[in-house]
Amino acid sequence: MLQHGNEAEHPATPPGASRRRFLTAAAGAGAAAASPALLTGCGTARAKGGNLQFWNFYGPQRSPDPAVNAQSKWFVDLVDRWNATHRTQIDLVYLPQPTYLNGFKLPSAFATGEGPDIFLCSPGDFLRYYNGGVLQDLTPHMEKAAVDDFGSALDSRTVDGKVHALPMEIEPLAMFYAEDLWEKAGLSEADIPATWDQMLDIGDKLRSRTTAGLVFETGPGYYQNFTWYPWMWQGGGDVLDADGNVAFDSRATRQALSFWQDAVRHGITPRTLPAAGDVISAFKAGNVALWQQGIWQVSSFKAYAPEFRYGVFKLPVPAGGEYVTTLGGWSFCANAQGRDPEAAAEFCVWALGSMEDDSVDRMVDWCTGAKSDVAPRTTALERGAARGGYDSAVMKQFKDDIFPGGRAEPRYPPVVYKAISDAIQGTMLAGQGVDGAAERAARSIEAYTKSYEGASLI
Amino acid sequence: MSSVAAQDHRSAATAPEEAPASPSRRGMSRKHREWLAAGLFLAPDVLGLLVFVAVPMVLSVGLSFFQVSGFGSYEWIGLGNYERMMDDPLFWDSMRITGLYVVILVPVLFCVSLALGLLVKQKLPGMGVYRTVLFMPYVISLVVVGVLWKFLLDEQTGAVNRAMRAAGLDGESWLGSPSLALACVIAVMVWVMMGYYMIIFLAGLQEIPKEYYEAAKLDGSGPWTTFRTITWPLLRPTSFFVLLMSTVAAITGGLDLIFVLTDGGPANGTSLAIFYIYQQAFGFGEYGYASAMGSFLVLIMVAVSAVIFKLTRGGRFDDGE
Repeated sequence: MLQHGNEAEHPATPPGASRRRFLTAAAGAGAAAASPALLTGCGTARAKGGNLQFWNFYGPQRSPDPAVNAQSKWFVDLVDRWNATHRTQIDLVYLPQPTYLNGFKLPSAFATGEGPDIFLCSPGDFLRYYNGGVLQDLTPHMEKAAVDDFGSALDSRTVDGKVHALPMEIEPLAMFYAEDLWEKAGLSEADIPATWDQMLDIGDKLRSRTTAGLVFETGPGYYQNFTWYPWMWQGGGDVLDADGNVAFDSRATRQALSFWQDAVRHGITPRTLPAAGDVISAFKAGNVALWQQGIWQVSSFKAYAPEFRYGVFKLPVPAGGEYVTTLGGWSFCANAQGRDPEAAAEFCVWALGSMEDDSVDRMVDWCTGAKSDVAPRTTALERGAARGGYDSAVMKQFKDDIFPGGRAEPRYPPVVYKAISDAIQGTMLAGQGVDGAAERAARSIEAYTKSYEGASLI
Repeated sequence: MSSVAAQDHRSAATAPEEAPASPSRRGMSRKHREWLAAGLFLAPDVLGLLVFVAVPMVLSVGLSFFQVSGFGSYEWIGLGNYERMMDDPLFWDSMRITGLYVVILVPVLFCVSLALGLLVKQKLPGMGVYRTVLFMPYVISLVVVGVLWKFLLDEQTGAVNRAMRAAGLDGESWLGSPSLALACVIAVMVWVMMGYYMIIFLAGLQEIPKEYYEAAKLDGSGPWTTFRTITWPLLRPTSFFVLLMSTVAAITGGLDLIFVLTDGGPANGTSLAIFYIYQQAFGFGEYGYASAMGSFLVLIMVAVSAVIFKLTRGGRFDDGE
């Protein structure tokens, strides 16, 4: 009856128009309802269940490089051991390093809710992941003694006293030099430079048409910033001061930018990396005399050029400056939006952050066997030293001379990184004035920090 | 000829009316069966275009109105990303570099490909081998091309600088100087693409009737006059195609090569718009902002294509030709 009554009140609507309107409305509503699902990839990993996925750039893989194979084996053994002793199973997923660092697979996976349950994260990416809400708090799974054992190595992975990533290594930077070229130029150990000016002089002396005298990173990216920070810090400069205020436009910053600019301008430092960035090949072929590199190259030299004679020394300092180097290194992280965040967090702690002997031994194996790194835990560093992991002259130098006084790589988000990168690139390779470059970068960082919402940048 | 063709067309068009199609065993008329066949043949392409082109394009435009965290959260910000784009000096720098890249690459590529097309059209022994060799760079992955040229252009040990030194010249930092690096990217891109467009031009040249050339020869026409009065006008549709395709490829392509060869450096000197967009999306997780820039770039591309259409009249022959 009521329907009839309604029909009587609205008799003029033609059936065709009504159907069209209905179809249009239905299509619109459908599209609106489907958009979030389409944009987010129709679901999350958590909803799908299954084995936990551990994405990394080490293994499983086979390589002609024995060092790479050893690193792959460490990862495979780690996951096999966990799977043999735990109900929650983990699959190891290997991504080649360039894909992991610059490809779209990892960011796309996170953007669509399909991110890995466990993954490797560098300090440069920490805040992006943390602010995105994907870093699971690992603290509830850790003993206080273990947190203390890591000490300051956790500083850049901690927010409000909670640990969100566990470092697997510490990688300090130093200067590597070719001993043969050094001796050929009539230099001895007494000539190892202590200041920037001395290093420029040595680089000038060592260079030739086919040999780069002194190599700094030239490619734009997080890595170049990472290698440049210590030169700024040595003069007392910083990107942000202790209160979080922008401090980039300083004398120390301009001094560090000038240092690299002068090295390039005088032809001591090449504008591109020798041997397309292949460090070992470049040293072996005599294409480089002096290169700012990290501790990880020790294991590469051992694997690829065991007979090659090289030495390392601490980064020289500017006049009146104080020694600092950057400490890099990757961490294990658990995805808070993954299949089983608690199990993933438990795995990270079990692997690297437990007080169990196995956990400490594992870190020792990684830092002194599979790779050449400083162990981020005091117990692992001591145990590694006791087992002879730091007995070689170079490793001993890294542990006792280069690593102390180091400072962790900052965790600046992309906008800050990009502003600094543009200043370095512009002054180093495009001949821009250092004053203007430092000021522009500082302005850009200032604008960003004013509207920034998230965990502390320092 | 044309009136006969028109009659044929008319009769074909009216044929079903004059002789109604007999129903098939399933009761479907011939007309319906043809519609069905056409639909089935077109379906894969239409579906592919819808799923892999149209829907992502629409979603991308939609995404440009959101602030996207890169971790699954979306916040509607209206035109916020477009406002940010207008104030982003790095984006406009990348657009300027893209403009320069397109303005240099497209004409150079056009001329080189046309010259090669004219050369390989000659009937000489072993011409098939030359054509193959010139086409080969096009089938190599851009990543491999990037690695190869990175070594060739190496500052200390690259073959290019070695050759220059052997000739008594100073070597250059080809990829380490912002202006030279862009020139190198353009040169490598020409090297990669010239073989493909050479083949397109060759096909166009072979379509031109030989009789025209024979008549021109009898009239005593020289090579330049023959090219200007016969080859160039009759090659106009092919030229239009090459111009359009190479412009679109220049605006939207080359990402892999830039990635491997220069990584956008030095000092953003090779940061094309497409590279900057990729960097914002996958490097920094700024998907909404990248979508806004991507949508803007598509608009620019459409505008440029429209101008090319207008200027070349769609590559049609002049009226009466």
